[in-house]
Amino acid sequence: MRRSADSCWIVLRRGVGGAVWLAAVWFAVGAPAATTSRIAATIAEVQPKMVKIYGAGGFRGLEEYQSGMLISEHGHILTVWSYVLDTDEITVVLYDGRRFQAKLLGADPRLEIAVLKIEEEHLPHFKLEEAVEVEPAARILAFSNLFKVAMGNEPVSVQQGIVSVRTHLSARRGAFETLYNGPVYVIDAVTNNPGAAGGAVVTYRGELVGMIGKEVRNTLNNTWLNYAVPIDALRPSVEQIIAKGGMVAKPEPESPPRPQRCLELARLGIVLVPDLLPRTPPYVDWVREGSPAAQAGVKPDDLIILLNDRLIHSCQMLQKELEFIEYDAEIKLTLLRGLELVEVKLKAPSDPLPTTGKP
Amino acid sequence: MRKTFWQPKSHRFGGMKATVWAVIGAGGLAVWLATCPILWAAEPTPPKVPTAPAKQDAGQTPPTTETPKEDLELLEQKAFQAAVDRVAPSVVMIETIGGLEKVGQVLFGTGPTTGLVVDPQGYIVSSAFNFVNKPSSILVRLPDGTRKAAKLVANDTNRMLSLLKIEVDKPLPVPEAAPRGQIRVGQWAIAVGRAFGEQKPNTTVGIVSAISRIWGKAIQTDAAVSPNNYGGPLVDIHGRVLGLLAPLSPQGGSELAGVEWYDSGIGFAIPLEDILQVLPRLKEGKDLKPGLLGIQFKSPALHISEAEIGSSRPNSPAAKAGLKAGDKIIQVNDRPISRAAELKEEISKRYAGDKLRLVAQRGKDRIECEVELAAEIAPYVRPFLGVLPMRSQPAEHPPGVVVRYVYPDSPASKAGVQPGDLIVRFAGQEVKDAAGLRQLAADHEPNQAVELVLRRDGQEQKQQVTLGVFPEDIPPGALPPARIAGKPQPVPEGLKVGAVELKVPEMPHEVWAYVPDSYDPAVSYGVVFWMHGRTAVDPKELIARWKPLCDAYDLIFVAPKAAHGNPPQWQPGEIELVKKLLENLRAGYHVDPNRIAAIGDGAGAGFACLAAFQHREGVRAVAALCPEPIMFPPPENDPAYPLSCYIARPEKDQRAAQVDAFVERLRAAKYPVVVKNVGEKVRELTAEEMTELLRWIDALDRI
Repeated sequence: MRRSADSCWIVLRRGVGGAVWLAAVWFAVGAPAATTSRIAATIAEVQPKMVKIYGAGGFRGLEEYQSGMLISEHGHILTVWSYVLDTDEITVVLYDGRRFQAKLLGADPRLEIAVLKIEEEHLPHFKLEEAVEVEPAARILAFSNLFKVAMGNEPVSVQQGIVSVRTHLSARRGAFETLYNGPVYVIDAVTNNPGAAGGAVVTYRGELVGMIGKEVRNTLNNTWLNYAVPIDALRPSVEQIIAKGGMVAKPEPESPPRPQRCLELARLGIVLVPDLLPRTPPYVDWVREGSPAAQAGVKPDDLIILLNDRLIHSCQMLQKELEFIEYDAEIKLTLLRGLELVEVKLKAPSDPLPTTGKP
Repeated sequence: MRKTFWQPKSHRFGGMKATVWAVIGAGGLAVWLATCPILWAAEPTPPKVPTAPAKQDAGQTPPTTETPKEDLELLEQKAFQAAVDRVAPSVVMIETIGGLEKVGQVLFGTGPTTGLVVDPQGYIVSSAFNFVNKPSSILVRLPDGTRKAAKLVANDTNRMLSLLKIEVDKPLPVPEAAPRGQIRVGQWAIAVGRAFGEQKPNTTVGIVSAISRIWGKAIQTDAAVSPNNYGGPLVDIHGRVLGLLAPLSPQGGSELAGVEWYDSGIGFAIPLEDILQVLPRLKEGKDLKPGLLGIQFKSPALHISEAEIGSSRPNSPAAKAGLKAGDKIIQVNDRPISRAAELKEEISKRYAGDKLRLVAQRGKDRIECEVELAAEIAPYVRPFLGVLPMRSQPAEHPPGVVVRYVYPDSPASKAGVQPGDLIVRFAGQEVKDAAGLRQLAADHEPNQAVELVLRRDGQEQKQQVTLGVFPEDIPPGALPPARIAGKPQPVPEGLKVGAVELKVPEMPHEVWAYVPDSYDPAVSYGVVFWMHGRTAVDPKELIARWKPLCDAYDLIFVAPKAAHGNPPQWQPGEIELVKKLLENLRAGYHVDPNRIAAIGDGAGAGFACLAAFQHREGVRAVAALCPEPIMFPPPENDPAYPLSCYIARPEKDQRAAQVDAFVERLRAAKYPVVVKNVGEKVRELTAEEMTELLRWIDALDRI
C-alpha cells in the first residue's frame, strides 16, 4: 500500500545529497537541464533549522518525542508545550546528529508553545519576523519528525501539500478539543500524527508559515485535523519568553465570560418540546400568551435554528448558548416555519436584578 | 494502535503527487505539457493561468532574480486557486439540525458539510453520507451567506447521493462538468468543500488516480477526501467538475462504507455527467435504488470467468425473463460481454426499474430477452419436506428414496410418512434417488402443497404435503443407521486409510486427515474440515479425538494447519487449500457432497465461514465454535447450494453482541442457524455437545 521506493525522495537521507539525487531523477525523466529545482533547494535550506526533541513519555499512547525549529543563532528552539518537556532531561538532536541537553526557557500554556535553549552558537535558524501569511491552495512543505522515523543524523521527514483553508479553532464552541483557540492553517498533508507537533510548515520557497500544532480532532465531523498555527499568532509570546523566561500566562478562563444572570426561555414565554434525545431539535412547543415571544410572532412548531446568528443543533445546545447571554439582552432568533425562515427580535422584561444574583 | 477513529488513520508521505512533481518539477508548464502526452491528451486547451500575479497570492512576491515564468510552483498554485475560485460560487455549505449522534460505529458531528449546485432553480446534490444520521432539518448556506431551508427531494442509494431543493430568488450558478471522456489518470484533481464555515472553501489537491472504479461508478483520486469535503466537487485544473466527492467502497453497502478511508490517498468522486443523467429522475422525488438482476454467477472469479449463470432466483427479473442455470450472458444492450465482471459492472451502474436487453447463449441457441431490474428480490427460502434419506443406496435397489428418519412435526410427519417408506414421486415427477428428490424439492417454495407418492409394504400411497421451512433444531436423540446394508467392497489398492498426511502440490501446508479404518468404497463419507484457532492443536491428538466419531458417522476428518505466522494464523487466500483438498479427496474416496462441513475454532471460525461462503459448490455447512467476530456478510442463499450453520456462543463474552449480529445476518439471508449457548465463557464443547454437533452433521442431507 504505502510507497516505499518513491518516498525516499521525500524523506531525504542526507540533506543536500538528497537534492542532488532528486535532480538526477529529473534528468532521467528528461526535464530540461537548464532549470533548477526550487523545492529541493528549499528542503536543503530548511532541514538544518529543524530539530528532533526527546523527553518524557514512552509508555502507552504517550510518545516521548516531538519536533522543533531553531529560531535564533544562539540555540533558541520553538516547539509545542507538552508532557514531553516535563523532565530535566530534554535532548535535542540537530539535523546533523549533534546532541544537546536543552533547557526549558519558558512556555505559554495558552498557546501551547514552549521555548528551549541549547548551548551552541552560529546555528542556522528561522527568523520569526520574516514569517509570511499564505492563502488557500498555497503550496507548502511540512517538516517534522512524525513517528520518529528520522533517527541519529537523519534529517526530519518532509511532506508536501497545500493550505486547505485558514480558519479559527475557537470559531465554534467545543468544536475542537484544544487549549489553543486562535487562527490556524488547515493543510492537506497528513501531519496529525505522533511526533509531528512542533514541526515547521513553510512555503515551497522556504518562507516560514507556521508551526505544526498538537494532535487535534475536529469534533464537528470526527476527523483528525492537519493544521499549523501561524507564526504571527505566536511571535509576541515567543519574544517575551526569550526576553524574560518563565510562564507567559495561565490558561484564561472560558471566554466570553458568562453573565451573572443569564437569559431564560421561560422569561421570553417560550416552552420547547421535551428534550428526550441526545440531539432533540429545538421546536417551540408552546408560547405564553402576551409574552415577548408571542408579541414577536413566535409560534408553536417553529424550529429555532439560529440564536444571534449562531446555528443551534439541539435543545441542549440552545440551553448552553443562553448561558452566555445577559438576562435582559435583546436576542435575534431565526425560526424555521415550514420551509420559510423567519427572523424575530425579542427581549425579556428587565425587572430589577435580584440582589443575591444567581447562586 | 492509537488514534483509531473508524479505522487507523492512514499516513500519507506525499502520495502520488510526489511522483508527478518529480516529472514536472524542473520544467515550465509549457514544457511539461509538451513532454507529457497523457496530460496533453487530457487537456486539449492549456490551463488558464493568470498572467499577472493574482490578488490571492499575498506574501508570495517572486524574488527579483527569477522571472515568474520559470517558477512552475507558483504558476501551479495560481492555477489551483483559479480553479477553486471558478467553482466556489456553486459550492454550498449544508447545516443540519437534530439527527442521531451515532450510526453504526460511526460518530456523527454536527457538521457543517458540503453540497454542489446542479440546477439554477435551487437543486443541490450532496453525498448521502451527510444525511445518514437523519437530521430533522437541513439548511443550505449559499456562498453569499444567505441561509435557506432545504427539502431532501430524493436519495440515490446506488451512487450514495442526496438531492436537496431550496427556494431561490435568482438563479444559482451551475458549474461546468468536465467531459467524462476527457478525464485522464495523472491529471490534477482538486477537492473542494465547505466544512469550516469560512468565506473561502477548503481545498485539497491531488491527481486522478483511476477513472473507472467501484464497478464503473467512480473516479478515484489521491487528494484528501473526508467529511470535510464529502458532497463537494472534485474539479480539474480549469475548475470544471469531475465528480462529486463521496465515501465509497468496492464492497459497496451502506452510506458509511468507505469512510474508513478518509484522508488516506484513496478517495472517490461520482462523475458529474452520470449525476446529471439521473437528475431528472431524482427531481421527481423518487428514491433511486441499485438494480438487481437476480442471478448468481457460476464462478466467483468474476474477472476471469464468463458470465455464466449458476442459478437464478425465483421471482427475480432473470427468472421472469426465463434465464436459468447454465445460460451465458454474452451481451447487454450493445455491449458484448465476455467476463462476469463486465456484466456486474453493467448492472451496478443501473437502477431498479431500468430495462436492459440481454443476449444469452444456451448451448447452441442464442436467446434474447428484456429484463427490468428490481429493487429487491426476496431471499431464497429453502423448502423442507422433513425427511432424512437412507444413504449409499446400491445400484440394484429400486428407484426412489428410502426414508431413514422423519422429523417430528415436519410436513412429512404430518402427512404420515414413516421411516422405511420409499418415496417414488414428488409433485408429479418421478424420484430416482435422494439427489433427484432434493433437486425437485428445491425448485418449490415453502407453503406450496405438493403430492407425494410413497410405497409402503408394496402398496403405493398418495399424500398431500404442504412444504415447510428448514428447521433450526437438531433431531433429538440418536438417529437410526444411515446405510442400506450392501455387500462390503474391498478398499482399492493404493488408497490409504487411517491417519494419513495429505499433500497438495504447490501448497506448503501441513495437513493431517483420518479416513475410517473400516473404509468401504460402497459407502459415501462426509468430510469435516477442522480450522484451528490461535493455538493449533497437535494433529495426532485431534485425530485420536475424532477417530471414533468418524468411524460411527462415516466421516473423513481433515485438519490443515495455516501456513503463515507463529502461532499459525489463517489468511483469506488459504481457502484455495480447502478447494484443492476437497478435489483430491473426491478423486480418491467416495465423498458425500451433502455432508461437507467446515468447523472453525475461535479465530479459525472466520476462516471456516469464508471457506463456506466462497466455496459454495463444495462446503455445505459451517460450524463456528466460540467465534471471534465475523464481520463479512454471508452470500445470498442459492437454491443449488444449501448451507447450514451452527454457532456455539458464550453468553457473557464481550464479543457476544457481534456474534449475535452475525447470526442475525445469516438468518436474514435465510440460512438455517443452530445457536448453542455454551454458558458464560469461551470453552470447548463437552462430549455431549460434540455428539449433538455430529448429529447435526449427520442430518445435513435432510430434504
